[in-house]
Amino acid sequence: MMQAEEIMTRNVVTIRGSATVADAVKLMKDKQLRGLVVEPRHDQDPFGIVTEADIVYKVAAFGHDPKAMRVYEIMVKPCVVVNPELGVEYVARLFAQTNIRRAPVIQGKTLLGIISVGDILFKSDFVEKPKQFFIEDEIEVAREDARAICAAQGGTSPECAAAWDVVEELQAEAAHQRVKKQGLNSLQVYCEANPDDLECRIYDD
Amino acid sequence: MMQAEEIMTKDVMTIRGSATVAEAVTFMKENGLRALVVEPRSETDPYGMVTETDIVYKVAAFGHDPKKMRVYEIMTKPCVVVNPELGVEYVARLFAQTRIRRAPVVKGGLLGIISVSDILRKSDFVEKPKSNFELYWEENPSAPSARMYD
Repeated sequence: MMQAEEIMTRNVVTIRGSATVADAVKLMKDKQLRGLVVEPRHDQDPFGIVTEADIVYKVAAFGHDPKAMRVYEIMVKPCVVVNPELGVEYVARLFAQTNIRRAPVIQGKTLLGIISVGDILFKSDFVEKPKQFFIEDEIEVAREDARAICAAQGGTSPECAAAWDVVEELQAEAAHQRVKKQGLNSLQVYCEANPDDLECRIYDD
Repeated sequence: MMQAEEIMTKDVMTIRGSATVAEAVTFMKENGLRALVVEPRSETDPYGMVTETDIVYKVAAFGHDPKKMRVYEIMTKPCVVVNPELGVEYVARLFAQTRIRRAPVVKGGLLGIISVSDILRKSDFVEKPKSNFELYWEENPSAPSARMYD
């Protein structure tokens, strides 16, 4: 699974909560950004975020004067933050469950970047390698189901065989996903270097 | 007041509802788009839309295979559409009230797409903020309360 830090946008700009909304708009226009991180004011203070949607929903929609409004009036603080090691699929799940579209990536107290739905869509590998979540949990459930069915219907019944087939398929998929993470084995590495070698020939039929 | 058509993005692309999500993602990546408009199937059929948020929230977040899912399973249809003459402040108000971030601009046919980014980057709400009173006055220039004495 790819991690948040691999796809996050490192070009992240911060703003003070006391800045005016007009300053924030100018900064977003100049730097082509859709969200700014609001700096913590001291060690115990949390990170905040102000996005283009905050500005349009809370300022432009009401005709308020952006020069007279401050970032702290419209920002989200504390905001959801993401660890750099979090898997991209879990970032997507977190965003869907909290209904947010971007979050700062934080290690300890250091701001590393910002990750958005756009980063997930454009840079992650969820199309090429979709991951089934919680597959170990699914295997456990399927195994319990199979045991129950076999106890009720008898060990030689077709229902029992079908239930264990389900377990087997899930286990095969889990093994497949694990292998994908490991990368190439030594034969594959050797064959990449020496594709014409006898051992490396692949017979398609 | 600026109008939707002055700030909308005219570079808009459509996709069929029966296309796979993987095709939609490829299309969005190639063209650097955050949303695609789903074409109506007939004259009486409404417009639909599929955005990056739909794909991340409904496909990536569940580990579904985008090659096996179809656009019609995750799209918003019918979606909110905007008239090209609608004032930008009203577009902002509409977006805030319906919690959406973009909408197709439609009159006769599809003219473009307007998003919160267009409002932020191209409209004049910073230079010329419009109060409720000013909005009312623009709509009803002859109302007694709207008369201006310079």
